[in-house]
Amino acid sequence: MRSDCLVHCGSGLRNMAARIIARCVRSLNHPSVYFNRINTSATLTAAPLTHGRTFSYLTNGHKSPLAQISSSSFQVLQWRQYGDLPPLTLETIHDRVLYVLKLYDKISPEKLQATSHFMKDLGLDSLDQVEIIMAMEDEFGFEIPDAEAEKLMTPQEIVQYIADKKDVYE
Amino acid sequence: MAVSRLPPAALSLKQFLQRQKVLGVYRDLLRSIRKIPIESDRRYLRDWAREEFKRNKSETDQDVIRMMITQAHNHLEDLRRSLALARC
Repeated sequence: MRSDCLVHCGSGLRNMAARIIARCVRSLNHPSVYFNRINTSATLTAAPLTHGRTFSYLTNGHKSPLAQISSSSFQVLQWRQYGDLPPLTLETIHDRVLYVLKLYDKISPEKLQATSHFMKDLGLDSLDQVEIIMAMEDEFGFEIPDAEAEKLMTPQEIVQYIADKKDVYE
Repeated sequence: MAVSRLPPAALSLKQFLQRQKVLGVYRDLLRSIRKIPIESDRRYLRDWAREEFKRNKSETDQDVIRMMITQAHNHLEDLRRSLALARC
């Protein structure tokens, strides 16, 4: 009778501990911190803790089961939400520049290479070059001054210039 | 005796400066057009600016070019003033 009572108490303690842990995790489940919740392992780790313990264990507070569990089974993924764009790489700059150039109606996409000169290879004139640099300004969101804009004559030079301005190193 | 080392198609200094002015006013015009809030108006004006500049691209008379640059500046000022008024 006594042992039955104890076993019943033990399972009740286990359930209670699991519930408390789940509640703690839910209260900590803030938008900025994500726990990789493994509920089964929580109950599994809770089981040996509560098996055969007395009520004094629970009176110690909620910290100890949670501390034990967070060290073993939870993975804390810190995810900070700042308002900024993804970082630029030479690869992405190159792809974006070529994409903008392909959208331009005076350039045929087949002839376009990274080293094709706007005036010599693609047959554009200086007004078109101004338009292209304007499109690049729109794409990357920063202004290119006149003196430097008129020197950019190939896609490769544009990529290099943007990488210099945006401090992108590889 | 002075053999010019420049290729025959090179511009003189005055022509070069004028070319820079034309490109400068074209760029300023495009930048102001960018600020127009309505998309269809923006597209229309961009096409209009393109057409105007392309049409007169082959002009070689310096005085005519100077006159056209002045006209472009006037258009640019009108556009800027309209934008400033429209914003408030």
